[in-house]
Amino acid sequence: MSDKKAPDVSRRKFLTDAGVAAVGAAAAATPGVSLQAAESKKAPRWAMVMDLRRCIGCRACTVACKSENRVSLGRFRAVIQEKTTGTFPNTKKAFLPLMCNHCEGNKKDGVPPCVKACPEYPGARAKFKTADGKTIRYRSGATYKRPDGLILIDKEKCIGCGKCIDACPYGVRSFDPFVKAGGDPSKQAADKCDMCAHRVDNGVEPSCVNTCQGRARIFGDLNDPDSQVSKLVKEHNLATPENVLLHEKDTNPHVFYIDPDNLLKTLYTQRKKGKLDHFVDQIV
Amino acid sequence: MKKLNRRNFMKLAAGSSCAMAAGLGLNQKALAGSIKLQEGGRDFSPTTKKELQAIPTACWQCVTRDAMIGYVEDGRVVKLEGHPDSIRTLGKLCAKGQAGINHVYFPDRILYPMLRAGKRGEHKWKRISWDEALDLMASKLKPLLYAGTPELFMYQYGRHKGSQSSIMHDFMDAFGSQTIGTHTSVCEGPKWVGQESLWGGMYDNWDYDHTDFVVNFGSNQFETHTNHIPTSQRLIRAMVERNVPLYTFDVRLSNTAAKSTEWIPINVGMDGLVMLSMVNVIMNEGIFRKDHLKYMRVSPDYHATESEKIAAIKEHVAKFTPEYAAKESGVPAEKIRQIARGYAKAKSACLIGYRGTVMHYHGADQERAAMLLSAITNNLDRKGGRIMGVGAGWKHPHSPKAKIQKGLDIVNGFPGEAAFPTHQCSQQNLPMIKDGQNGRPKVYWSSCNNQAFINGNNIEAEAVLKDESLIPFYVNTNIVYDESSQYADLILPDVTYLERWDYEDMVSPTGVAEYYIRQPLIKPLGEARDQGEVFSGLAKRLGIKLAYTTKEEYVRQSCEMTPGVKEAGGFEYMKKHGVWHDKDAKPNHGFYEAKVDVSGDGIILDEKTGVYWNYKKAGVTEAEARSKGFLGVEGAKNAYVAQDIEGTPRKAYPPNTSFVKSGLLDFYSDNFASKGFPAFPTYTPVPEHQKMGKDDLHLTTYKVAVHTHSRTAHCKWLSEIKHDNPAWINSKTAAERGIKEGDRIKVASDLGEITTTAHVTEGIIPGIIAISHHFGRQQSGIYGSGKSSPTPGGAAADPDANNKWWDKHGIHPNSIIPNSSDPISGGQRWMDTVVRVVKA
Amino acid sequence: METDWKALADSAKSRSDIYGLLSAVFREEPTETLIRQMKGPQLLGAFTSLGVKLGERFYTDPESEVVEQLAIEYSRLFIGPGPHISPHESIFIDAEHGEAGLWGVQTVEVKKFIETTGLDYDSGFCGVPDHVSVELEFMQKLSEWEADKWLQEDRKSAEYCLTVQRMFLEKHLLCWLARFCDEVMDQAQLPFYRAIADLTKTYMEYERESIAPPVSA
Repeated sequence: MSDKKAPDVSRRKFLTDAGVAAVGAAAAATPGVSLQAAESKKAPRWAMVMDLRRCIGCRACTVACKSENRVSLGRFRAVIQEKTTGTFPNTKKAFLPLMCNHCEGNKKDGVPPCVKACPEYPGARAKFKTADGKTIRYRSGATYKRPDGLILIDKEKCIGCGKCIDACPYGVRSFDPFVKAGGDPSKQAADKCDMCAHRVDNGVEPSCVNTCQGRARIFGDLNDPDSQVSKLVKEHNLATPENVLLHEKDTNPHVFYIDPDNLLKTLYTQRKKGKLDHFVDQIV
Repeated sequence: MKKLNRRNFMKLAAGSSCAMAAGLGLNQKALAGSIKLQEGGRDFSPTTKKELQAIPTACWQCVTRDAMIGYVEDGRVVKLEGHPDSIRTLGKLCAKGQAGINHVYFPDRILYPMLRAGKRGEHKWKRISWDEALDLMASKLKPLLYAGTPELFMYQYGRHKGSQSSIMHDFMDAFGSQTIGTHTSVCEGPKWVGQESLWGGMYDNWDYDHTDFVVNFGSNQFETHTNHIPTSQRLIRAMVERNVPLYTFDVRLSNTAAKSTEWIPINVGMDGLVMLSMVNVIMNEGIFRKDHLKYMRVSPDYHATESEKIAAIKEHVAKFTPEYAAKESGVPAEKIRQIARGYAKAKSACLIGYRGTVMHYHGADQERAAMLLSAITNNLDRKGGRIMGVGAGWKHPHSPKAKIQKGLDIVNGFPGEAAFPTHQCSQQNLPMIKDGQNGRPKVYWSSCNNQAFINGNNIEAEAVLKDESLIPFYVNTNIVYDESSQYADLILPDVTYLERWDYEDMVSPTGVAEYYIRQPLIKPLGEARDQGEVFSGLAKRLGIKLAYTTKEEYVRQSCEMTPGVKEAGGFEYMKKHGVWHDKDAKPNHGFYEAKVDVSGDGIILDEKTGVYWNYKKAGVTEAEARSKGFLGVEGAKNAYVAQDIEGTPRKAYPPNTSFVKSGLLDFYSDNFASKGFPAFPTYTPVPEHQKMGKDDLHLTTYKVAVHTHSRTAHCKWLSEIKHDNPAWINSKTAAERGIKEGDRIKVASDLGEITTTAHVTEGIIPGIIAISHHFGRQQSGIYGSGKSSPTPGGAAADPDANNKWWDKHGIHPNSIIPNSSDPISGGQRWMDTVVRVVKA
Repeated sequence: METDWKALADSAKSRSDIYGLLSAVFREEPTETLIRQMKGPQLLGAFTSLGVKLGERFYTDPESEVVEQLAIEYSRLFIGPGPHISPHESIFIDAEHGEAGLWGVQTVEVKKFIETTGLDYDSGFCGVPDHVSVELEFMQKLSEWEADKWLQEDRKSAEYCLTVQRMFLEKHLLCWLARFCDEVMDQAQLPFYRAIADLTKTYMEYERESIAPPVSA
């Protein structure tokens, strides 16, 4: 869906995926974003750029995510953190959108900590088809990395052990009270942002991106040098420790922040061990 | 009871059979048709294919009314997104809008007409049929018609716009009652009154797509605004993509202030003063633009020369030096100068303001100062400036009007309360009914208006609604049981905005009108019924003829008769596409410059004002016209043709509101002077603030990004993010009172006292306390009020209710804010209350 | 063994009638006609031997007054405004995605199940498709059809219809109706709905036992 023109409603696609009724508007609604995977033999490498200059803390993303993915109360897949700093009258307040970083994993093994922690990984081989029809094989698991970089959860395989929840340094994972773990129905399945894979796989941008009025969220393919994310990463030099969260954890996050005011350092609250209460969206 | 066995099963069956055979008097069968099972015992598998639809429609969570796309799966609304083809919204929808789904499936939703069965407030109800409900209403309304007292039927609405508004007025006209109460005066009335006194019936928007500089007084653009999504996204993009600076004056570090180039803290009620000192700087430093002067009247003299006007403006604002303004407002004089210079020198600039500026004593005058600042820099209706909002001009069917048209004088405030309540004084509607001097309605029907929550002194409002001697018959149209409907005699189940037809017309910041419609995504749940159809059902019983029977028909007719929409394909086109605009239309900036032909029959020049007008149209003789002059003839403003601008007749700013004025921007206003108000924008201290003791604080209220004032508390996705409203207090002010973060505090005004929690922050000026006004709900279900239903099957039966984790639901500040009006406009003075705050 | 077609048909018809009565009671506020029927000697006898106590005043108060009392009780229990027991399956079934409010996933399941049998929702019906009375009416219709088939000596169809009924009971009614009845018994202020809920729950138990074992073809 590289068509940049806003399409007719009648042409819009409908998507479904494993019981989640996911429906998407046109990806093309956001100018400049191309969801066309690069014309290469490689799979796309999906990534998100968060332009902190543009986030106005409106929470449309938070609610769009709740709605799109039917996220239960008490947990979030996407949140905004806000923090007030300084002393009156030199007070500042800033907003920081957070979500799963869809980490690449460390240089050595390329496996993110959540995937590493999953007892069901590595599981059976699975196949991923690229845009040009090439098949890439990868290892499945209850939590696994798809060749296009998305870190996904297979709730049928999940045994509800919660190890991935503990392993994620960003604390973006939680148990879904409405979905039983397929591998152990006495437990609940783990859940987190899947970058709206059901939309992306059908050429539609994630729901949070679609709704962002400031265009603070830019989604696209890093393997495509012409994609907006690639251009932004280059233009703003985002592939640095300063432009991702918790670089020191060697997770290689794929959510990059345009952060000219160095807000990440002051804004980001890291989770405390064993706690997820930092990953909620609250307005004081 | 006993266990069933074969024996008593047979007994029960025999009894049932006998009863069934006799008929049970059921009104309604649920299932029709006949069973067609495969008669071979093949596997029975109900179809699992999901049916999906995308339907273009329009939001109505707030007045912005964004065009959107609703996604429906198997008859259930599953997702709402912005409409990508909308020139207003550019495909965006806010947090509130997306949570609209929560309205439809809220398990406590009112789905049937409910007749009160106990005393008012006893919460006992009986479902009745629509026929019974309409018969009952007709039985109350008919006597009023026969007695020639239609005005004793009062309609009170909160947010009726587009066709919902026109269809309501159509019905009221057909009935003959002009006793119609609104809510604008608790919202933004003074802003409109200030603007109407100057440029007529035009309301501002801002051309952020082309502006170079933005100064904001008390508007929270990035969180909430009458035109939020269309304007705020353009503003943030202008800032990031074109480096447009935004300076925000506010008492509080709102999200807008936070994202501004600079937040400039300002004392309560000082916006107008700082604006006037900016005018002072701009005039005295000679950095004003002369272009607009010829359209401005700044002294009694209609024919003043340019230099006389410059001198007059300078004189008017002479005392408002930056130093003087600094002393009162707390804004450093240098900061005022800096922003004034940047604003004046920018190629184009927007001066924006909202409730923070106008919901004060003389709030309407503060808006006039904002207009002055725009005019002297030639940023009024110019590209990149403060432009007029352009909305769709729908045509719609009209029903015959009743011969008798009367209205009770209870919607414009108490006698002498407000000089120009052109947007009413709705906070006093219930107090005036209580007072009774100007009469009381016998039938009071409210819709989309929670009077017992949204007004000041809401406790009094509640008491009035509860009192049958004051309001004998009270009908409330609603989707949710709220603070007001709990006292109604009859509750009518309203449709949500995802189940209704409307044409819509909210203004576009591009200067090009967008026509759009709202269409049902799903069949209304239960017996919910659009108000338009309630009107037609009532009309039938009252013997009144209406031009339509269903709302759909009304909207269809409107589409077929509205120029542009009609040619594009009318109703069918709109159903398919949802939005339409004229692709060839260009913004009409600078419309006031248009030359006007004044050669027509009956057009004369009024020497005094320079107005060309048609005395024949005004219905007077030429002699009378000349002797009395344009301003002296009643109704002459409707015969306005043009204004003489330096020898050329131009359209200028027609007096198309209730203000009688020339075609000039009336910065010197005879209207104001005649009522004893300042003729020229000035600074008038708030009386209550002059008497403040050392320990007194200001109280202000505000909105956040995820709620409307009173209609979103039951939306779980919104209340999860914001459900409590601790009072913001500066660390210094808190320390003086020994208050720490999270402490319980008492906030007391002359009206009453509330106990709440302190949020000690650096993000607010000292000497003030700020409480958002969405919370402290008595009703509205578990998500909003926390009243856990004792019977699961109410809100608690939503399995997600088991995941509800918050137990705080805030407190409503309106109970300590008196109803008190701006004497100019009748606007509720939300920001003028003085309180004492102590640790509880 | 000779098949007693008549007896099989009668049995199905009996079940159909009981479903019909229960459906009517839950459909809306009872009418005077319904109340008169329930006071009638046949049902009175059945209720007495079962221990179904509709309350003394139900029998002694004038019918017009009983109508009024029950209308208020019905509204309070099942309609609102305010806290009430929403009589819909989706409300009681924890749907997977936390959307089991009105018109939930389960609602669609019920609607599809019913429509697959060839039945439609009446155009005048404006309730939600998984209302308790609809599910009961559906069972009434199915068992009535079954009875017809027995009379036509069409064993295959009748037994197939029984299978469908069993499926509907297992997938839907038996999953929630008992809990619903418990709530009603807990919240009812007048004996009427308490007794009816008790009867309904008891009847569901009876159904579970009597038609649960698979009917061999």
